[in-house]
Amino acid sequence: MTDPAGIEPLFAISHNTLVVACGVAAVGCGAGVIGCFGVLRKRALVGDAAAHATLVGVALAFLATGRRDLPVLLVGGFLSGLAALGVLVLLRVFTRTREDAATAIVLSVSFGLGITLVSGITARGIPGGAGLEQFLLGHTAALTTADAILLATVSAAAVLLLVLSLKEATLVAFDPSFAAATGWPVAVMDYFLVALVAVMVVVGLPAAGAVLVTALVVIPPVAARQWTDRVPTMLLLSGVFGLASAVFGVAVSAVVPRLATGPLVVLAAACIFAVSFVVAPERGWWARHLRKR
Amino acid sequence: MQPPPREPILEFHDVTVAYGRRPVLWNIDLAIDEPCLFGIIGPNGAGKSTLLKAALGLVPLAGGTVRFFGQPFAEVRGRVGYVPQRETVDWDFPVSVSDVVLMGTYARLGWFRRPGPREREIARESLTRVGLVDVAGRQIGKLSGGQQQRVFLARALAQQADVYVLDEPMAGVDARSQDLIFGVLSELREAGRLVVVVHHDLRTAAQWFDRVALIDMRLVAAGPTAAVLTPQNLERTYAGRLDLLDELGRAVEERGRTS
Repeated sequence: MTDPAGIEPLFAISHNTLVVACGVAAVGCGAGVIGCFGVLRKRALVGDAAAHATLVGVALAFLATGRRDLPVLLVGGFLSGLAALGVLVLLRVFTRTREDAATAIVLSVSFGLGITLVSGITARGIPGGAGLEQFLLGHTAALTTADAILLATVSAAAVLLLVLSLKEATLVAFDPSFAAATGWPVAVMDYFLVALVAVMVVVGLPAAGAVLVTALVVIPPVAARQWTDRVPTMLLLSGVFGLASAVFGVAVSAVVPRLATGPLVVLAAACIFAVSFVVAPERGWWARHLRKR
Repeated sequence: MQPPPREPILEFHDVTVAYGRRPVLWNIDLAIDEPCLFGIIGPNGAGKSTLLKAALGLVPLAGGTVRFFGQPFAEVRGRVGYVPQRETVDWDFPVSVSDVVLMGTYARLGWFRRPGPREREIARESLTRVGLVDVAGRQIGKLSGGQQQRVFLARALAQQADVYVLDEPMAGVDARSQDLIFGVLSELREAGRLVVVVHHDLRTAAQWFDRVALIDMRLVAAGPTAAVLTPQNLERTYAGRLDLLDELGRAVEERGRTS
């Protein structure tokens, strides 16, 4: 920058970057915490189906309002994510398709529909439509301060809800038939937990994009599980891992232009996972190797 | 209002259960009036576990009714303790032994309330009764099969129920754990509780249970163990399963020796 008056705008940009980084960090943390129950309930891929389906809602919300307003787009994404989960349940109940096959079908079909809508909007040159592609891989540089605050608030609310119902969620995830026999509404709790995952997937869209956001709710929990044998500790660690990955992704993509945030976040999480896999006490590869000798 | 005539503790009336279109239990009529150790016996696939799950509302009834103390299960679930089959859960789950036992107190706690000192005391007592108080802090996957089964029993004890329902509690369990579990179940009976156990081993069934029901999709016979486990009844239950007929020979023999 050679502009002599450039110091102030630069400062303003970095302030926004800082707020955005904090917002995305909160999203990473929330996704890590909420994702634990997707992993513990062995429903890791269900969140992925919801994530791929969000693109449809994002595109439709844009077409309906004609504006690229983040809250509106995310509400659209959330609704289409939920719709995909509904279709998933219907497929299982009415066609007796097995869960893995049903998940694969919903994931690919809804993603195909989303891509068609987004590329249609881009190809027809609808004003403002070009930015929609950022929801594919995540692009935090485009976020405003208000966006970041919204994302952080929603993440915090989701975490709060989970922490409040931690006892019930743990019981249902560990032993659903005992939970049902002792009077807990297992199906309702399951929908609640899946809905929380869908919320985190949606607020994770700007950071990681529809294709990769599922990594935010799966990799940190699996890495955290390596280090601990207790659910609360796992939630905490997973939150920290998610936060660290998000901060890394935002920081690097802010410094290196044209690098999408999502892949960086996922790669950072993968590094944490790899380290956890090798050096974690007890469950880690190294500890098991030592025990064998 | 007249007090109603004494209701059976547990009563199945004309219970039919189907998975999809395939019926697995037909017209089961069974009433248990007195606290005792009650065995539900039958071959694999006879529908023993299904009968328990039907009683606890875990599988829907295609017909008939189940009543505890004359009431539907939903009205009296707090009085029924449940020990599911050990293989139904993931033992790698990140919870400790005492975490699992505390789950027995959750129903009484209700929504959002966390276990306090009272619940911890109940859990500790339950663990003491099954001989696991020393491993209370351990992750559940680090226990032996028999110890895991005892964790589930301790969780049911923490429910402080009047009826205990156990699904194959002796399957894949070492001899020491079997004795311990049987000891606890006997104590429960002495304390006036009804204990209903799904069990597949005829030999031990003859030794352990006061009363049994023989089931092979239908109820073959029910009543005092010695009266029910006759060669004729076993033949009808295990028809054609010759390897098991050998076992029943031994069972009846052993019964003769111990009594």
